[in-house]
Amino acid sequence: MRKLSILVLVSLVGHTQAQTANALIESVLDKINLVNDYKAELQIKAVIPFIKVPIANATIYYKKTDKFKVESKGIAILPKQGLSDLTGFLTNTKSYSAVLGEEKTINEHKTKLVSVLPSAENSEIVLAKVYISPSDALIYRTVLTTKSSGTLSIDYEYNHNKQYALPSKLTFTVDIKKFKMPKSVASDIRNNDDKKKYKENEKGTILLVFTNYEVNKGLSDAIFKEDQ
Amino acid sequence: MLLKNTYNELLKIATKIRSYIGIGALTLLIFIVLFAMKADGKSYVGFVTASFEQTLSFNGKILNGNLIAFIIMQMLIVHVPLLIALVTGDLLSGEEASGTVRMLATKPISRTGIVFSKWIAATVYTLIMTFWLGFLSLFVAKWMFGTGDLIVLNSNGLLILAEYDLGWRFVFSLIVAFLALWTVATLALAFSAFAKNSVGPIVSTMSVIILFTIIGTLDVSVFDTIKPFMFTTHMAAWRSIFEDPFPLREIIESVVILTVHIVALLTITIVRFNKKDITS
Repeated sequence: MRKLSILVLVSLVGHTQAQTANALIESVLDKINLVNDYKAELQIKAVIPFIKVPIANATIYYKKTDKFKVESKGIAILPKQGLSDLTGFLTNTKSYSAVLGEEKTINEHKTKLVSVLPSAENSEIVLAKVYISPSDALIYRTVLTTKSSGTLSIDYEYNHNKQYALPSKLTFTVDIKKFKMPKSVASDIRNNDDKKKYKENEKGTILLVFTNYEVNKGLSDAIFKEDQ
Repeated sequence: MLLKNTYNELLKIATKIRSYIGIGALTLLIFIVLFAMKADGKSYVGFVTASFEQTLSFNGKILNGNLIAFIIMQMLIVHVPLLIALVTGDLLSGEEASGTVRMLATKPISRTGIVFSKWIAATVYTLIMTFWLGFLSLFVAKWMFGTGDLIVLNSNGLLILAEYDLGWRFVFSLIVAFLALWTVATLALAFSAFAKNSVGPIVSTMSVIILFTIIGTLDVSVFDTIKPFMFTTHMAAWRSIFEDPFPLREIIESVVILTVHIVALLTITIVRFNKKDITS
C-alpha cells in the first residue's frame, strides 16, 4: 500500500512537471504564433576555425509555417540547424515530450530548463534543452543535439519584438570538425611553419544581429521560390 | 635603332603561326573551363564547402565570375609558360636555324641591342598573353556568371574575400603573374642563345620548370635551402595576393627574386650572344 502511494505520488509529480514544462513551451508558442510572417535585416559575424569570413549582411524572410529564406548579396555563413527548424519542432507539441529541469540564470534572466525529447525515431533533433524564462515567456538559451550536426548552443537576446518572441541577437556556438584540404587543391607556395595549429574539433561562433523587423506585413509566396 | 629592331621583332612574332597557337590554345582552354563551370560548377563548389556542410550552410552566390576567374588563373598559370616558351624559345635560335642570324648581326645595331630588342618583343608577347588571360578570365567570366564574393581555398581552410576587395587583388595578381611569365620568357630566350634550333630551348625551358616544380613540392628538408631561390617557387606568388592579412613582405620577396632571375638570365643571354661565333 505504501509502495503504491509512492508510485502514485511520483507519477503525479512527473505529470505535474510535464504539464509545467509543456505550459512553459506553450507560453512561448503563444508569442511565436502571433507571427504570421516577418522580414528583417540580418548582420552575420562568423568566427569559425578554418574559415575567415567578412561580416555579411542579409535579409531574412519567414512565413508561417515553415517558409524560410535568407537572401544575401555576398557569401553568408549560417548554422545548418537552429534558425528556423527549432520553432517548427516546438510548434508540433505532439511530436515530443518535455521534462522540467533545473533553474538557471542566463544574462540576468531567471530561466527554467525544459528538456525536449522527440517521439519520432528518425527525428533530426535528438535532444533540445530549452531555457525558458517563466516571467516573460521567452527562450534565452537552447542547446540542441542533432543527428548530423552534433551539438550547438544558441543564446538569445531580445529588444523591441519581445511580444513576438523574435530575437534581436542570436549567438550560435557550433562544433567544427578538423578541416582537411587536399594538397592538390590548396597550392600554398610558402612553408607553412607559421600556420595556426587547430585541434581535432573546435568551437565556432556565429553572431546574428536582427534589425528592422517587419512583422505581419504580408509576404508573398514568390519570395520563397528558389532562384534559378 | 633599338626601337626599329624591336618593331621588326614584333612583326616577326606577329607573322609566325606559332604565336597564335598560344593565344588560340589559351582562348580554347578558358572557354572549356567556362563551359564546364556553367554545366557542373555547383559540384565544384560542393567539393569546396563539403567539409563544413554538416554544420554550416553557405548562402549567397558562391559560383560567380570572381571564383571562375580565380580557378582559371590557378589552372592556366601552370600551362601558360609552355605557350610563352613556344614563341620566346625561338627568338634567337630560330634566326640561327633559318640562317638569318648572320644578316641580323651585320645590321648597324650591336649584338646587345639585338638581344634587347628580342627581349622587349618577348616581353610584349608575354604582356599580351597575360592581358588576354586576365580579360577572358575576369570580364568574360563575370559576364557569364555575374559577380560576388570570392572563396579562396588554402591548406589553412577557407578564406572569403568581399567583392569590393577583389578588383585591386586581381590587377595586382596579374602583374605578379606577368612577372613570373616574363621570367619564363627570359629563360627561354637565354636557352635560345645557346641552341641552333627552336625545339631545344622550348623543351629545356619546360624541363627546368617541371624539375624545379617537382623539387619545390617535395617535402624533403635537403631542398629547403634552395627552394626560396628557385623561380618556380615564386611563380605562384600571385596567389598570395588573395590572402588575408596581405603578405606584403613575401610578395616583395617574390618580386625581387623573379626580377633578379630576369636580370641574371638576360645578362647570360647578352654575354652568350656577344661571344657567339656566328658561322651559319
